[in-house]
Amino acid sequence: MKKIKILTIITGAILTAQLSHGESKLTGLDVIKKVYYRPVGKDMKSTLTMKLIGSSGSVRVRKIRQFSRDFGRVEKKIMFFISPADVKNTSFMNWSYDRPSKSDDQWIYLPAIKKVKRISSDSKSDYFMGSDFTYDDLGDRHPNMDTHKIIREETFEGENCYVVESRPKDKDYMYSKTISWVIKGKWIGLQKKFYDEDGNYLKVLKVKSYKKIKGYRIVVHSEMKNVQKNHTTEMILQNVRINSGVSSRKFTERMMRRGL
Amino acid sequence: MDRIRRFLMKRSKEVLIVILIITVFLGYVMKKNSRMETDLDEYMPKDHPAFVYSDYAEKLFHIKDGIMIAIEHNKSIYNPGTLKKLKILTKKLQKMPEIKKEDVTSLYTAENIVGHEGTIDVKDFYRSIPKSEEKLKSLREAVRGNDMVYKRLVSEDEKVTIIIARIDDNKFSQKFYERLLKISHSFEGPEKVYVAGVPIVEGTMAYLGAKDMKKMIPIVILVIILVLYLVLRSVKNLIFNLTIVILSTLWAFGFMALFKVPIYSVSTMIPVMLIAIGVADGIHMYSHLELFLRKNPEATREEALKDLFHSMWKPVVITSVTTAAGFISLLTSQVYPIKFFGLFTSLGVLFAMVFSLTVIPAGIVLFGFPEKKKDGNTKKKKDLLPNTFFYRSADLVMKHKKIIILSVIIITALSIYGTGKVWINSSFLDKFEESSDIVQTDRFINRHFGGTNTLNVIFESKLKGKFKDPHILKVISKIQDQVEAHKMAGNSFAITDYLKRMHRVMHEDRESFNKIPDSRDMIAQYLLLYEMSGDPDNLWKVINYEYNRANLSIQIKSDNSKVLKEVISIIEKNRPEVEKSDVKIHYAGSGYKALVFTDLILEGQIKSIILSLFMIIILLALQFKNIKTGLIGSVPIMITTVISFGVMGLFNIPLSTTTALVSSIALGIGIDYAVHFIERYRIYALDTGDVNRTIRLTMEHSGRAILFNAVVVILGFMVLAFSVFPPNRALGSLVSLNMFTSFAGTVTIMLILLYASGIYFKNEKIK
Repeated sequence: MKKIKILTIITGAILTAQLSHGESKLTGLDVIKKVYYRPVGKDMKSTLTMKLIGSSGSVRVRKIRQFSRDFGRVEKKIMFFISPADVKNTSFMNWSYDRPSKSDDQWIYLPAIKKVKRISSDSKSDYFMGSDFTYDDLGDRHPNMDTHKIIREETFEGENCYVVESRPKDKDYMYSKTISWVIKGKWIGLQKKFYDEDGNYLKVLKVKSYKKIKGYRIVVHSEMKNVQKNHTTEMILQNVRINSGVSSRKFTERMMRRGL
Repeated sequence: MDRIRRFLMKRSKEVLIVILIITVFLGYVMKKNSRMETDLDEYMPKDHPAFVYSDYAEKLFHIKDGIMIAIEHNKSIYNPGTLKKLKILTKKLQKMPEIKKEDVTSLYTAENIVGHEGTIDVKDFYRSIPKSEEKLKSLREAVRGNDMVYKRLVSEDEKVTIIIARIDDNKFSQKFYERLLKISHSFEGPEKVYVAGVPIVEGTMAYLGAKDMKKMIPIVILVIILVLYLVLRSVKNLIFNLTIVILSTLWAFGFMALFKVPIYSVSTMIPVMLIAIGVADGIHMYSHLELFLRKNPEATREEALKDLFHSMWKPVVITSVTTAAGFISLLTSQVYPIKFFGLFTSLGVLFAMVFSLTVIPAGIVLFGFPEKKKDGNTKKKKDLLPNTFFYRSADLVMKHKKIIILSVIIITALSIYGTGKVWINSSFLDKFEESSDIVQTDRFINRHFGGTNTLNVIFESKLKGKFKDPHILKVISKIQDQVEAHKMAGNSFAITDYLKRMHRVMHEDRESFNKIPDSRDMIAQYLLLYEMSGDPDNLWKVINYEYNRANLSIQIKSDNSKVLKEVISIIEKNRPEVEKSDVKIHYAGSGYKALVFTDLILEGQIKSIILSLFMIIILLALQFKNIKTGLIGSVPIMITTVISFGVMGLFNIPLSTTTALVSSIALGIGIDYAVHFIERYRIYALDTGDVNRTIRLTMEHSGRAILFNAVVVILGFMVLAFSVFPPNRALGSLVSLNMFTSFAGTVTIMLILLYASGIYFKNEKIK
């Protein structure tokens, strides 16, 4: 009991010390953690429009109805294709775990063969549905996997931002570094630049708009541009409902088969 | 003309100085503007539909030629050492600045679509080197079970594996190749490493051809100088004659630079043409002068020049203008380098004419007659060929008219038969020696894999999403089976291969599902699944974004045009069925472009030969005011052309850019010989009125000059027959052959025809 007490006092002291110096004493890791752990509600329903824009300017549009819920240690997500018509009701389920070491569980259901298949995904650097986003880019990457450093503070698009440079601890990772512009206080990454293994500028993620829904800041329109391939993905969220009560029974193979 | 002559005689020094100043100026322009164009794409007519489409498709599907690096292990590649080398070499290639990372494919980078027990996965064959027997065995089985990799990246006997590095055309250089070889060969032992592929063949060809030419041309020129001296037997004449050739070549290239026209590889044929044609005027003029001086040993410079001008200006101008017109006809070609070749060669020919008529007289005015041996007796003995030789030759020709006519008919018939066998070859590899490294490596890789060359077939529909339709995909799959049955075609690869693999994997890896699914939705969902789990960039190499264009790539074991055409004909058989589904078939890729390009060159060449033949007949008829003369005068040209193509057909020399252009020499030289000969014949005929004397004298005068001209050029170009580079050998032999037939045709059959026509002997009925 005594030990715990002492520990509490020490922790308290550190916390007070930090507070007294204000936010300017935040480390790069702190900033990234604040983004990673920014509350977005317990569950969410939304319609995702994914626009894939090729180098020739041709556009492919996919409409997806998606449901997600945070179960603490695991975040579950299920998605149903609305269009294009030939993939309608194709569904996809993803369970993402809190522990960085545990990889996601993924399933896909193809109505044409009426089968649910597990997709074994070894790598979070896989691209998400042919888009320019990897699973990591979508917010899955745990802050502990990189080392972070605030390189400057600047006003970006009218917001006061921390500019944080992150380098992977695993040298074989697909990015050699990323640079994020994080809005102070709101903890939204407004822009992020990605550099490939050889250190060349690869992609840029831009948050086009975010909304406050039920007190949570939700990014509803973002755009990722691969500058090397000149390929762009836009993600637009509509009909966003937060904490509307998504049932835990929603995330099953049976629901995948049932479709929308 | 007389005025010009008088002006030239008075102002020779000034004329030479002006020429010199212009030459220096052009030299300066050349130094500033001249540049070599080595990118083969620059040679193709950009607006030709076949090229426009191919370029479009190449961009859309990232079609590039591949360098292939094969690693051979004498037992099996499935051992830690070889797999490690494969991994490191793959990574090293990805790091080369000329190669993009994603353009390198090997077993190390390949993705394996697999499924078992309700899962589907797209994963690597290996990352860390498999060391245990068990892991090596499972890798081997994974490869054997995947048609998208087995026999494509690993040979059937599992002793060879291949790395394909696709590279942009303009990135290849000799330095890069040397670096690549050094890197690759550093991985040898116990493995053997082979490097081949289209970029290497093309690059090496351009390099070797130019290198060989650089070595051979000085020898050619030296031999020509030597023979020219033996013929002219005067240092002065030699120098002035060479000056004409050199100046006309310099001016031609100078004007190219002035108009900022780059030097293409066919432009190297310009000096070849100008040497062959440019020496002719000089030889004829000096030959005339010599004969004049022999008959009038006491003549003054003025008298000699007066006679020279009087007798020679007309044939020199006629031959040059007609030859220039012949080359101008090449402007009808669709290929810009050929257009420029025609334009600047005709300019060069006209320059040579101007220089012959100015530099030679000016030289005589300033530096006197050609040096002559004082002792008349020794001179006569030393004379290369005594006059009687030509008289006897003339008599011989007239004596054996029937035999000559008969042999001309036989040879022509044989040649026409041979012409039918002429085939076009756009192959680059066929230009190398069979025993050369480059051919042997290519053979090795073709023995073990699908092929070092690629033909791309592009299926195109107006309807978006068309290539999710099972029917058309089944047709494509059928075409693949048909093509792969051809013994020179290896693998083919298309969207169908992904679908077959996915279908099979989704059905517990059962072989019976290794086919195109029957439903459109299933196809769409498989493709979505692939996009979600694999690298969609791979997909965009076989299908476009809107799914209305599909790329079928076919590996071919040869770049020979015959093989390419056979494969295309297999595909063409399916055209009606494909078009019934509202899908069009196009072709793309460098091999196909080379094929179309060669066809274009030939088509243009044949059209221009026919066109220029008509022009020449008309021009000659106008000059000699007689249509019969025009026709007779074009006989040597026709014979030379027919024999040139006939020999190619009979001796299995394929037509290519260079060999096709050589036939232009027939025009230039044929005209020269015919005009000089007919002009002399006319003069002597009007002079003497005696046909036999006319023939003898013409033979002595023109026949001699023609023989000298032919000997000089033939001996010069025979040097190229000893080149190490086969295309240069073919060039040398064909130029020599054309010179010889032009000569022989003029002094035999054309002479006989002149005689038989009775022209210029109106009062005398002959036979």
